Amino acid sequence: MASSTVPTGSRARRGSRAPEDRPVRRVRRQLPSSPWLFAAPGLLITGVFVLYPFVSTVINSFTDRRTLIPGKFVGLANFRELLDDDMFWIGLRNSTLYVLGVVPALVILPLLLALLVQKNIPGITFFRSAFYTPVVASIVVVGLIWVWLLDERGLINSLLEIIGVGRVGFLSDQWLLLVSAMAVTVWKGLGYYMIIYLAALANVPRELHEAAAVDGAGAIRRFVTVTVPAVRSTMVLVGALSSVAAFKVFSEVYLMAGPSGGPAGEDTTLVMLVQRTGTGLTGRVGYASAISVVVFVVTVVLMLLVLRADRKDES
Amino acid sequence: MPISRRALAATAVAALVLPLSACGSGSDDGGSSDASGKVEGNITFQTWNLRANFKSYFEGVIADFEKQYPGTHVKWVDQPAEGYPDKISADAAGGTLPDVVNVSPDLVAPLAKAGFALDLDKSAAKYKKEYLAGAWASHQIPGMSGTYAFPWYLNTGPLFYNKSLFKEAGLDPEQPPKTYDELFTDALELAKKSDGKVATLANVPTVEDFGRYGVELMNKEGTGFAFNDAKGVELLTKYKELYDAKALDPQALTATPESSGKKFLTGAVAMNPGSALDLGNFKKQAPNLYKNIGITDQITSTGHVNMYVMGLMVNAQTKKKPAAIAFAHYVTDAEHQMSFAKKVAIFPSTAGSLDDPYFTKEDGTDETRVRIAAAKSLKTAVNYTPVLFSDQMKTALRNEVAKALQGKESPQDALDNAVKACDTLLQQQG
Repeated sequence: MASSTVPTGSRARRGSRAPEDRPVRRVRRQLPSSPWLFAAPGLLITGVFVLYPFVSTVINSFTDRRTLIPGKFVGLANFRELLDDDMFWIGLRNSTLYVLGVVPALVILPLLLALLVQKNIPGITFFRSAFYTPVVASIVVVGLIWVWLLDERGLINSLLEIIGVGRVGFLSDQWLLLVSAMAVTVWKGLGYYMIIYLAALANVPRELHEAAAVDGAGAIRRFVTVTVPAVRSTMVLVGALSSVAAFKVFSEVYLMAGPSGGPAGEDTTLVMLVQRTGTGLTGRVGYASAISVVVFVVTVVLMLLVLRADRKDES
Repeated sequence: MPISRRALAATAVAALVLPLSACGSGSDDGGSSDASGKVEGNITFQTWNLRANFKSYFEGVIADFEKQYPGTHVKWVDQPAEGYPDKISADAAGGTLPDVVNVSPDLVAPLAKAGFALDLDKSAAKYKKEYLAGAWASHQIPGMSGTYAFPWYLNTGPLFYNKSLFKEAGLDPEQPPKTYDELFTDALELAKKSDGKVATLANVPTVEDFGRYGVELMNKEGTGFAFNDAKGVELLTKYKELYDAKALDPQALTATPESSGKKFLTGAVAMNPGSALDLGNFKKQAPNLYKNIGITDQITSTGHVNMYVMGLMVNAQTKKKPAAIAFAHYVTDAEHQMSFAKKVAIFPSTAGSLDDPYFTKEDGTDETRVRIAAAKSLKTAVNYTPVLFSDQMKTALRNEVAKALQGKESPQDALDNAVKACDTLLQQQG
């Protein structure tokens, strides 16, 4: 590429009198615009599908806009209303519980799974593929399968009845419903994060394990003192990714708890509340936007907390 | 040619800001109601999940219309059932709402308020007498004058029940419940005899159930809800008894019509509302159930069963008003509604059509028996769902009902809260 040969720095900016530099100067004149042109498609897509909706949402959150009726500026009224909205607090509680329930499981379990399938033994590819299958399966299909399994007359309840435990209201009790949805999220996410850990584990020097083993460390000790520190940055990444995804959970809870968000709406998450409030012909777009802004702020705070914890550990 | 950074930045800002300036459409202009002029031009007709099963029917109707009115061209688009209101709202906000749109009364209300629905009392009053009075009135909005859609097909359905479950519980399978009192008594008996394993009902009461029970749903002025009266509390108290006795399915609090239909198919639930269409499903998916299927009338304390109404709305902003009105009328006139009714288990909303032998003469089959019973009840049926009752209101009522059933609130408090929430949403609708 011609541009890659162009010298940078003050000499290049001043120009050079050397005859062999002339073609280079001609190329350089096109430089300021060329990167922008290359970036234009990406910028355009980001602008239209990311920045514009974001800015639009923030603007709408300060209006009383409805789906078919343009709103007027109402200042912080939507945010004040949020404070008195029981359903908002239920949504915030459930989304927070989701993070607390799902993230530790998604940080630890895929690592253990990755350790299990890391070794090259005959037939291991089958297990790797099997663990990854839920990741590529449609969430709607997965959700429906789990609804059938957990139904009052489903397979799991039938087994529980056979062993004398009796039927459990996985889909009728608000807390069990939330836990069931978390289980589906963890089950579906295991394979994805397992792959990330497999890549990280491949970079852990074998000598470290051998040295620890020579020093008399057992398998658990080696895991704690060698493996975990070696993949710590990956664990932080997985924690950050899964916490953001968990806080914005929608599909699993929607499919298992139904559009009303479980019994009396007690399993509603914040994103479900955005969907329920802001869509349809009578949707309150302004109010739903205010909830979205809160979701955004909490998500950013979550990310910052994870990164800060990582930096603290490093220092 | 080099492009300056300023020019690029300006372009990026314009790309972001221009769409913003275009947002928040909606229109104060309700459009002229003048429908005079020649029927000609291109119009778009949108249906609600009908192409899969009725493609040839609609193509035939459109071809006949274009033949009758040379110079017209109808483009037919069909939208899936899922997310239909969102599709309409996106089209309305984006200025791409089709000229003739398939709607239900609750969809018409916000569109009419925002000026997207043509007032047919002004533009097409001459057709009013062709339709059943109740059907014509179903697209009128409290607080507004006018009618905002042509009534199209009607539907109602019987209550199906599983005779073998009734028999196992010691109930007479030939004597299903006819009143709410009988329903509650039989349901408790069925739950008791099956040790709570068989529920009679799979859904929590909806606003239609309150209507059928005889509860006043809205005040006379249509400015507020009123289903928290003594009768409403009585109904909810009865449902609470059913829920505690497992006569109402424990998963009813999160049930959808689809999930309760499946429970009925598997014999987990003894009764379920449906339509003549369901008989075919039973035959195919649950032959054992089909052998034991019982069919009875909807239970109502008012003497009027519930009906569902579909309509065709004419976009008030259409540039081809005469053609759009003519087409909406053409599709919904007696002849075409009758031919559509013979293809699928729906009922015409045109005056006199329900007296056709097709809806009155027995031929010994279950399908015909259901059809005749439904057509008879439709003559006095009521669309109990208030047109202003939005999805958000349905959720508010459902959540409060669930709290009462779980014992977290008394039925009175739950209904008071539901009315308060629905009134607030009603005011916010403007």
